[in-house]
Amino acid sequence: MLDVLIPSSGAGKAILAAILLGAGCGLLGCFVVLRRVALMGDAISHAVLPGVVAGLIYSPDRSPIFIFLCAAAAGLVGAGLVRALMATTRLKSDAALGIILASFFALGIVWQSRNQQETVGVMNFLFGNVGSIDSSDLRMMMMTTSLLCVMVFFLKRPLLVVSFDEGFARGLGYPVKILNGVFYFMLTFSVVVALQAVGVVLVSAILITPAAAAYLLTDRFEKMLLLSMGFGIFAGIVGGVISAGISQIPTGPVITLAASAIFGVVYFVAPRHGVLAKLLRTSKRRRIVMRENTLKAIYQIQEAEGFAYEDVSVIMLAQKRRQTEEAVRKRCASLLKHGLVEFSEDGISLHLTSPGWKRAMELVRNHRLWELYLTNEADYAEDHVHDDAEKIEHILGPNMVRQLEQELDFPELDPHGKPIPQPQLAMQGLEPFSTP
Amino acid sequence: MMDYLTLPWDVLGIGAFWLILMAFLVALPCSQVGSFLILRRMALTGDAISHSVFPGVVVAFYFTGDLASPWLIVGAGLAGLISTVLIELIHKRTRVKQDAAIGISFTSLFALGVVLLETMLGKNVDLDLECVLHGRLGLLLEDETLPLLGQMVPQPIIVMTGVSLVTIVLMALFYRVLLLSSFDTGLAASYGYRPALIHYGMMFAVSFIVVAAFQAVGAILVIALLILPGAAAYLCSHRLKTMLALAALHCLLSAVGGLYIHVWFDTNMAASVVVCGAVLLLLAWLLGPVDGLLWKWFKDEPEHPDNETGDKIVTHSACSH
Amino acid sequence: MATPALETHDLTVTYHKRPVLYGVDVTVPEGSLVGIIGPNGAGKSTLIKSIMGVVPSSGGWVKVFGKSLKENLHRVGYVPQRESVDWDFPVTVMDVALMGTYGRLGLFRRPGKEEKRRASEALEKVGMLPYSNRQIGNLSGGQQQRVFLARALAQDSDLYLMDEPFAGVDAATEAAIIALLKEMRERGKTVLVVHHDLQSASEYFDRLLLLNMRLVAFGKVKDVFTPELLQKTYGGRLTLLSEVADRAAKL
Repeated sequence: MLDVLIPSSGAGKAILAAILLGAGCGLLGCFVVLRRVALMGDAISHAVLPGVVAGLIYSPDRSPIFIFLCAAAAGLVGAGLVRALMATTRLKSDAALGIILASFFALGIVWQSRNQQETVGVMNFLFGNVGSIDSSDLRMMMMTTSLLCVMVFFLKRPLLVVSFDEGFARGLGYPVKILNGVFYFMLTFSVVVALQAVGVVLVSAILITPAAAAYLLTDRFEKMLLLSMGFGIFAGIVGGVISAGISQIPTGPVITLAASAIFGVVYFVAPRHGVLAKLLRTSKRRRIVMRENTLKAIYQIQEAEGFAYEDVSVIMLAQKRRQTEEAVRKRCASLLKHGLVEFSEDGISLHLTSPGWKRAMELVRNHRLWELYLTNEADYAEDHVHDDAEKIEHILGPNMVRQLEQELDFPELDPHGKPIPQPQLAMQGLEPFSTP
Repeated sequence: MMDYLTLPWDVLGIGAFWLILMAFLVALPCSQVGSFLILRRMALTGDAISHSVFPGVVVAFYFTGDLASPWLIVGAGLAGLISTVLIELIHKRTRVKQDAAIGISFTSLFALGVVLLETMLGKNVDLDLECVLHGRLGLLLEDETLPLLGQMVPQPIIVMTGVSLVTIVLMALFYRVLLLSSFDTGLAASYGYRPALIHYGMMFAVSFIVVAAFQAVGAILVIALLILPGAAAYLCSHRLKTMLALAALHCLLSAVGGLYIHVWFDTNMAASVVVCGAVLLLLAWLLGPVDGLLWKWFKDEPEHPDNETGDKIVTHSACSH
Repeated sequence: MATPALETHDLTVTYHKRPVLYGVDVTVPEGSLVGIIGPNGAGKSTLIKSIMGVVPSSGGWVKVFGKSLKENLHRVGYVPQRESVDWDFPVTVMDVALMGTYGRLGLFRRPGKEEKRRASEALEKVGMLPYSNRQIGNLSGGQQQRVFLARALAQDSDLYLMDEPFAGVDAATEAAIIALLKEMRERGKTVLVVHHDLQSASEYFDRLLLLNMRLVAFGKVKDVFTPELLQKTYGGRLTLLSEVADRAAKL
């Protein structure tokens, strides 16, 4: 029945293999990344080598099922031994993983080097070769990947709970031990599916890298699963095509580099968690802070003059901000763009618009409220509070302001004796100029 | 029976001695640094380093064409540095956790190394994928020899003797610093030992030794030499000095045992040494005097830390000064 | 006026941009036994770690006996939390006590007879000399804490900073430790102890440092162990402060 799905051309087979391995590893990779067991994945993938060698030696016709079962068995024994080492000795997880990884791998190499005739194709399993995958391998991969998909579909919720919080899962009455066992069982299977295409040495890359890229793109687990599968498939196809184009290069490293390239791109451009997005956010914040500080300076000049004049000259503003006139003009231009100030006709002075007044008063209020809060409630010395308030004034939301006002009993003066402006009142028609 | 024991000597003559010596000399520095890696819970950092220095080795080899060239260490050091930077960039700047960051960067660099190897070097007898996997320990006897003390000594042995000596001298010099900073970073920092400096010093030492061992055992088996001796010794001892000495003994026994496996079963020499090391570790796990499963099983009862240090002891001493 | 044993000014620590300790100004006179108390997450351990330079501070300075910490490092002994080290580590009780002498040995000198004598003496004082050949993993919690204390004694410093020495120890060890601390004070040592039990704090120490992200109060027990100040330290009125700090850290 499955044979209908298997294409006859070599390229078709390679693509199908890429899809299967991307799907299998993409699914399990998400759990690996979220459970922080990336290195367990690496240990299991190295530990399957003696199984592969045994499969190659003892299978009369190189039956993929036989090789698959031997490899999976070796992986599971390895995973079990890691647990046993950690449970019965003082060795920590890193050492236990390293021991199993290295010992099993060496055992595989020794065994292989003794039976070189029977294990001619072992290089395909070590560094991957999509070209060596034939119909019977594909049949095996299809069955395993479908099994994995079905298991993830049914066990997604409990597995997620166990990954997130084992204690809580136990409280819910989940069989945590069995679920963990099932997880490592599935992990081993996904490693073995990818074996022939990617190879023992680099399987962990196709497990971790696509899932990590997906993790940077979304906060929803279902989406992460789909994205991770997509990336895995894409890396598989790209790697397969490129390595077929350049002869002699094993597939595994190329698929790995393709996955790394995907991760690299996502690392920079991911909309929320990407590095560029973070940089943009920081620089946007910095611009807002500079703009708001200029706004506040206009208010403070006005306040110092008792709100007697409507206009503030750019030169005065520059003196107040301790910046060059040019720099201040730039800030003012940005204020103008946001409709917070208007320039006089000759362009040497400016005044706040009504929204400008509102925001400026809010800022000054935030600053003074926070200073008051720190001195009165948090027992800071008066000379310690200004710097902190400079930062906080830009981020206090209306809810926090309301809480502050309540806790401070609607104060009128800040710790230095300056009045705390009340934008709500001012906007109801009370002109700020008329307040003392 | 006796035939089996003398077989390597019958087949290889003095070559058997050279092979054992070489395996021991490669494993010894690895075991000493590796013991500290285990105590610092950095065993997998050793894994990551040994994979990620590989592209540096390939590039340096491409230009020098000599596996013993010091430029290989420079290349490896640079590649190791790049991997450290990559790990930091990934896990400090994004929400990807450290284990995944390590996995991503070392697999990427290793893959890059393999691709470079295949494209730049093509069919090269000294450095190919076989060598990456198996090492060239078995080919030692075909190497150039140099006269030393009236003997023709294979050249790699002289190099590895140097590496071992440097490692041991450095370890002896910095023994206390390593001990304290591994046991209690806080106190070490309060003494003015710089934790970051020690950390990077360790990483550099590991890179250096990995490159030195690379030719003999390849990029993957070297992890075994870093971890197995220290781990086996850790299971047998409660004293750091004893542990280091036992790790060295483990190296010697694996070297001898590895040679026998190699000769008896006609297997790859480097991997045989590791397998013998793994068997020794298994023995330590089962029979070791400290963590041995067998003793625990016989003792039947869990160890009780005794709780009866009387308060009297201290109260009297409090007034003794 | 005599130089204070410890002086901090505006000491500020941030973890991942989130402030955990804000502008701490404190001056500790020589020969005092100080308890640092405050709720969980108040930054008690962070305070002594930042004084020791084990965690970097983002502002302010620290002086020890009138000089920078670097210049007077040998006069300060630090006792980390018991959980901060791996007790499976292959060292003996004696080895740990000897570590107290490392600070003065420099990088390369080996501990000699004099150092061994000092370490044995310190072990004797805490009643652990009979165990000096034991691996540290085979000790009870109280015994492990005594070993840590012996190590501090072997350091022979003038100012000690101890992180939760009473955590997880039996009553006998607790009494023994406090007797030892008081004896150290009699010899003119200055000791700062992070402590989490309010009940015993007023009997154990002669000065208290009340901390909750910022210094609430510092002074003699009778002056600062008052319901108002304790309410200020433990009262949950500062939710807003941490809320805002969280928000600031996210941006």
